Amino acid sequence: MLNRRQVIQLGFSSASVAATKRDAIGATVSGEQIIDTNAHLSQWPFRRLPLDQVEKLVNKYRSLGITQAWVSSFDGLLHRDITSVNERLAAQAKIFDELIPIGVINLRLPDWASDLQRCCKYHQMPGVRLFPSYHNYGLDDPVVLELFRRAADNRCFVQVVVALEDARTQHQRFRAEDVDLNPLPDALSRVEGVAVQLLNARIAADRLSDLKNLDRLYFDTARVDSTDGVPKLVEQVHAERVMLGTHAPFLIPEAALIRTYESDQLDDASLRAVLAGNANQLIAGLA
Amino acid sequence: MTMNRWTPGLPSPETLKRYRIWDSYFTPAHGHPGADGTKSLFADIVRSLPAIQTGHFERACYFPHVGTGTTSDHNLEALLQTQPDIVLSPMRRWSGLLLGMIQVNSNDVQASLQAIDQWIADGPMVGVYLPGGGPGARRCDDPALGPMIDRVAQLGGVLMVHTWFKTGGKRNPSESTPSELAVLASRYPEQKMVCAHAGGEWQQGVRAIRQHTNVLIETSGFDATAGFIEMAVREITAKRIIFGSHLPSRSLGTELAKVLGADILEEEKRLILGQNFRDLLQLGSE
Repeated sequence: MLNRRQVIQLGFSSASVAATKRDAIGATVSGEQIIDTNAHLSQWPFRRLPLDQVEKLVNKYRSLGITQAWVSSFDGLLHRDITSVNERLAAQAKIFDELIPIGVINLRLPDWASDLQRCCKYHQMPGVRLFPSYHNYGLDDPVVLELFRRAADNRCFVQVVVALEDARTQHQRFRAEDVDLNPLPDALSRVEGVAVQLLNARIAADRLSDLKNLDRLYFDTARVDSTDGVPKLVEQVHAERVMLGTHAPFLIPEAALIRTYESDQLDDASLRAVLAGNANQLIAGLA
Repeated sequence: MTMNRWTPGLPSPETLKRYRIWDSYFTPAHGHPGADGTKSLFADIVRSLPAIQTGHFERACYFPHVGTGTTSDHNLEALLQTQPDIVLSPMRRWSGLLLGMIQVNSNDVQASLQAIDQWIADGPMVGVYLPGGGPGARRCDDPALGPMIDRVAQLGGVLMVHTWFKTGGKRNPSESTPSELAVLASRYPEQKMVCAHAGGEWQQGVRAIRQHTNVLIETSGFDATAGFIEMAVREITAKRIIFGSHLPSRSLGTELAKVLGADILEEEKRLILGQNFRDLLQLGSE
């Protein structure tokens, strides 16, 4: 298992370092690097998923040529002992070279700052993941600014999970609205140096205009649908800001992969940036 | 583009061709084909072609408006009624690709009966589509639809019904649920019906129709949620599942991955991706 420093070095994308990592996990489909920035371990609370055992998930990644996955734990949605959730996550990620652990921080729990410290410093995680809808706060809450500041100080990026499941199919008694992104421009303007990635966002084109020029704001592709949705997003927010995210194992990982190229609109450089380059750059920027 | 020959997540072109993919739910300009009857429709078909070619689809079935009042554009409706060549033009331009099921207006049964005779009895359409919204939508178990269902059954046409189970209830009372389709299916046990989108929330959708062996489910229209196809194969067998792409508003990735990424047998994938739809259309030997 690479430590955080090594992960950051890998982010510089030196060909030799990248090749070493790929060699360690076996041959890829094409020799290209693919990084999934949006995945989870453990069990979805509402049904079993075919890939909700880490060995199956990693085997699927290997079969698809996905060389790295940034994983959090579904346990972080509802468990209150987040410290142990992140301990288990870190321990599982040590077993598989492909897995980069991203700790869950619940800003409604007392002493969440210690969890952040443990994730960034002790576990050497490059980022942390927030579930505002499941943990019951909005991005206009001052605690979000505090988290952003501490994450920037610790050189960790922040992933904000905008949704996990289509609102139309959620459990009747456990409904979670998509996160309201309206407060985000103001929040980001107040904290220098924090890098934020939105996960599972499905943002209307007119709303993107408020977000596309925000410094160090990134998007994933997990729920960007329509046959040309990914190239349109790239066109709207620029290729440097879009990263592959599959939302595996909740969603079938092949789906997001195929969407990046099916419309034949992204040029090679943009496709490589979305599939891995931007994720590498984000981590490199933490060094 | 060099990398476009690299297609992670897809099997080889040879494997895709072996599946013989027939898309049962192609939705170019689904709500409105354009003021002239074709402009938006043609644009969306062209927009979808790269994905159709990437997936090596053989055929794709779309749902033309034919002037029965399925849009609120009165000029368009008049145009489509009086100039059937406009309706036929996409099928002529993409004759090797397109199949059609006409959208019918369940609130104007008489007009819909005439359209069924015009487009199915005399060809070339293969069935009817009951929309989930717009002026043509009505709950599919409403007895008023009886004459339409009877006529489709007489002609051996397919009945495709948009269905959803939505948390919090229907946004539109005219939209049908799989449970309502099950009621309709029990009245017409000899008529094959398709539960489009498997109800969206497919765990309930599959359960709602599983006892009704004349109902198949269609796979498109919701995120590529893992476990769907596995549950459906387990509960109703692969023979009762047909693939749909929902292109271009959904994607090849989302829709094809549901089947390709499922933990089922290759033979089951082949059935779902094409053979079952050919059988439903009684074109199994094609």
